[in-house]
Amino acid sequence: MPTFKLDGKEIPFEPGDSIIRAAWKQGIEVPHYCWHPGLSAPANCRMCLVEIKPPEGQRGVMLDIVEWDEKNQRYENKRKPKLLPSCQMQAVENQEVLAETSPHVLEARKYVQEALLLNHPVDCPICDQAGECKLQDYWLEHQGTKKRMREEPIHKPKGVVFGDTIVYDGERCVMCTRCIRFMDEVAKDPVLEMRERGNLNEIMVAPGRKLEGNYTFMVEHVCPVGALTTKDFRFKARVWFLRSAKSVCQGCATGCNAHLDFDPRYNKAYRYRPRDNEAVNKFWMCDPGMMSYHRATEGRVVSAYVKGKTSSVKKALDEAKSLLASVPASSVAVLFSAQHSQEDNWALRELAATFMGASNLYVTGLPDGFEDNILIHHDKNPNRAGVMRLSSAIKPFEDFAKDVARGAITHVIALGGETPAEVDLSNVQIVTVAAYEGALTKAAKVVLPATSWAEASGTYVNAKGMAQVADKALEPQGLSEPGWKLLAALGQALGYDCTWAKLREVRERLEPAAPATTATAPASELAK
Amino acid sequence: MLKPTNYLTKVYGLPNGWTLPVYEREVQGYQVAKRVLTSMSKDDLVAEAKKANIRGRGGAGFPMGVKWSFMKPHATKPAYLVINADEGEPGTHKDRTIMELNPHSVIEGCIIGCFGIGAHVAYIYVRDELHLSKERLWGAIKEAKAKGYLGKNPFGTNYPVEVYVHTGAGAYICGEETSLLNSLEGRRGEPRLKPPFPAQVGAFGCPTTVNNLETIAIVPTAIGMGGEAFSKLSAIHNLNDGGVRLYGINGHVNKPGVIELAVGPTIRELIEDVGGGVLGGKALLAVIPGGSSTPVLRADDLVDAPDEKSPLHPWHGKSVLDVPLGVDTMRGVGTMLGTCCVTVMAEGTCMVAAMHNLMQFYRHESCGQCTPCREGSGWLLRSVEKILEGRGSMEDIDNLADVANNIMGNTICAFGEGTAMPALGFLKKFRPEFEAYVRGEKTKDRDARLAV
Repeated sequence: MPTFKLDGKEIPFEPGDSIIRAAWKQGIEVPHYCWHPGLSAPANCRMCLVEIKPPEGQRGVMLDIVEWDEKNQRYENKRKPKLLPSCQMQAVENQEVLAETSPHVLEARKYVQEALLLNHPVDCPICDQAGECKLQDYWLEHQGTKKRMREEPIHKPKGVVFGDTIVYDGERCVMCTRCIRFMDEVAKDPVLEMRERGNLNEIMVAPGRKLEGNYTFMVEHVCPVGALTTKDFRFKARVWFLRSAKSVCQGCATGCNAHLDFDPRYNKAYRYRPRDNEAVNKFWMCDPGMMSYHRATEGRVVSAYVKGKTSSVKKALDEAKSLLASVPASSVAVLFSAQHSQEDNWALRELAATFMGASNLYVTGLPDGFEDNILIHHDKNPNRAGVMRLSSAIKPFEDFAKDVARGAITHVIALGGETPAEVDLSNVQIVTVAAYEGALTKAAKVVLPATSWAEASGTYVNAKGMAQVADKALEPQGLSEPGWKLLAALGQALGYDCTWAKLREVRERLEPAAPATTATAPASELAK
Repeated sequence: MLKPTNYLTKVYGLPNGWTLPVYEREVQGYQVAKRVLTSMSKDDLVAEAKKANIRGRGGAGFPMGVKWSFMKPHATKPAYLVINADEGEPGTHKDRTIMELNPHSVIEGCIIGCFGIGAHVAYIYVRDELHLSKERLWGAIKEAKAKGYLGKNPFGTNYPVEVYVHTGAGAYICGEETSLLNSLEGRRGEPRLKPPFPAQVGAFGCPTTVNNLETIAIVPTAIGMGGEAFSKLSAIHNLNDGGVRLYGINGHVNKPGVIELAVGPTIRELIEDVGGGVLGGKALLAVIPGGSSTPVLRADDLVDAPDEKSPLHPWHGKSVLDVPLGVDTMRGVGTMLGTCCVTVMAEGTCMVAAMHNLMQFYRHESCGQCTPCREGSGWLLRSVEKILEGRGSMEDIDNLADVANNIMGNTICAFGEGTAMPALGFLKKFRPEFEAYVRGEKTKDRDARLAV
């Protein structure tokens, strides 16, 4: 691979890479506002200016500037090299690029940083971006001085509602145009534009439109400052109190990588943020996905139930035992859940298929829905691919409905609460281990409360067949426990030798070779 | 010595001078275009254009023939000629006279230009408020079409040429060529990143040459008399700055106006012989040589070119007012020729107020794309305003230079330099005036005069 030198360090690059991208791939950040690895480079913030040494024997472009000579009371002519934006300039083999080691670059950065804060309200205490704001980070790193302009800053529209999800503050905006470019290039809906000129510039929504569609949250996410905020997160939390768990979005079978931000003090999730993964979601998530963190607390099963009444887990297990004890395996249906993790589904298979010998296997989950050609998959379940690999005998939910209707099924052991379609369950006895309420929990004789994806580490296999782990963020709510643990307890209650007790054991038995902690292991290694 | 010519201006002031019959009668209009299209090859034309040493009249002074030669035929895409008639530079008023008084020279130039770069379509980008200019151009296009000079078979040849007038909305930045192209395409007028340059990716993504209106208007003359002969009309032909061009004079002179001269008059000649001397017989204080972006020259500035190899050496130690006005000569004295319209400021003009006036303009016209210019232009204005209003400090003066230094070269287009250079020019040449305001020796009410 060809290389160039950045501050004396050899940086390899793919032909066509810009200097900033090549450095970024090596984990070196050239400071920037407008550049984003997933968007085109407009080179407008000028924070990433670098000094590129001309090739041997050639002279670089020099510019005339002045310096005040206090002693002689006159301006001296000076020259400085022309600096170039590293986001625009392509890396060239053996080229010598100076950033941290060029006094001109350091001065330019300092000036750009000061200029960006010139008309900024510096209202950090009431800004949701505080704590993760580039203006804050870079002030400390690249400026560190007070503002020289003491006049009243320019005032611009604030609290502008861009749509149902996003609010804009013109005064905080640095005009990097990332939001405009995101809507243009990724969401393919060029609904944002710049209006006015010079330091009166502001971002606007196209007349007659509002910012809508399935990717509006991303404009907030790409905003390097507090100009764009989401109605969902505004004034809800201080980011420095939040912790992040590496999670996987549960909204559909795409399995977008996400950070689930939560406050450990209140055991509460506050938001999702996309986690970069070139192979899955690049840098993005959709709006329904971004909002799906609410499922950490909404519609959860947090208590055991026996015949619709809350109960202890122990009593519920006793009830399940008496319900299932003397039932022939041939009339038991096993309902896997595409909503639940691979660990939960594996435990169900071990219990029902291996130990009980049941052979009526089906899969449940949420019904199909909308899809697009960006991120959104029509399958609204995060782990269907994983379930289907547990056994080739697993049949679709329609078959379950038919078999129930013709009376072939008397008992059901299920994972999950939701069903993809309505079905008359009045003639079957259901024991379900579920994180979410749904038709199954409503009809079940026994409900055991499972943790959601947010409360326990779990593996999910997306539509592309990649097994991805969502880490635990929150403590389990109410009486809930990981589904695989409850299924082990159920198996033991029924007298089977279900010995798995730790996540590690489950993962090892799931597939000894499965790299359970990597984000994107091929599922073929995971499933039997 | 002034060498007035009238290649472009012969029809100025004649009854119906802007119409085709007058253009044909007085200057054998369209004969050059006819000869080019019927008997010349593209390469010969470009070679001839190079020999003419026509330096771009828009301000940067890039050799037109060289620019034409950058145009390489594209396998699938057409080429375009775009004429920049946005003329937004403060103190510049030459292109407008051509459009209003000699529009056919533009159309004929477009035909030749299209042939030279392999284009079949030319767009003339005119700022919208120049209503008479648009009318005259539209009228000229209509007349030329009716005569068969434009259209599918100009002069009976198989080289179709169409010329369209496109109206801009009057933003200064749209005079920057890539901004102009964006505006032409219906986008926001913001400069594009270069490379790619317009010759590779220009209007509508196709190879494009952008020429200033005066540049293209002089092409029929230059090609008509032969490139070399045209170039030699200039007093500084040896500096590859050839031919004739329009010179403007404005500000504190008795007779402001536009005149066509062989390249190479001095500022003093323009003021005295064309402008009729400084207004009210006052002493000359300063001169802005070619539009507001070019750094100001003091009347008492001397040429500093001790090096014998320097093209300016013949004028070493002499007044800058006696240097021929050319692209490279003005660069040599620390300013720019720019658009060649000289703004004269007489003794008594407040240079702080003058800078304030210009900074208002740049603050208003910055497109706002790049941080240094967007914020810097506003900062410069506020600082100079503060000084002018007596609220300033010595630090504010120092900040002015620091801000301008940091705008310089750090932006996508040359607007940044266009703002920083005049700011630095005023500071360099007139810092004591700024200090006088800070010390309270001068006040806005009493001293901030722009009129004398």
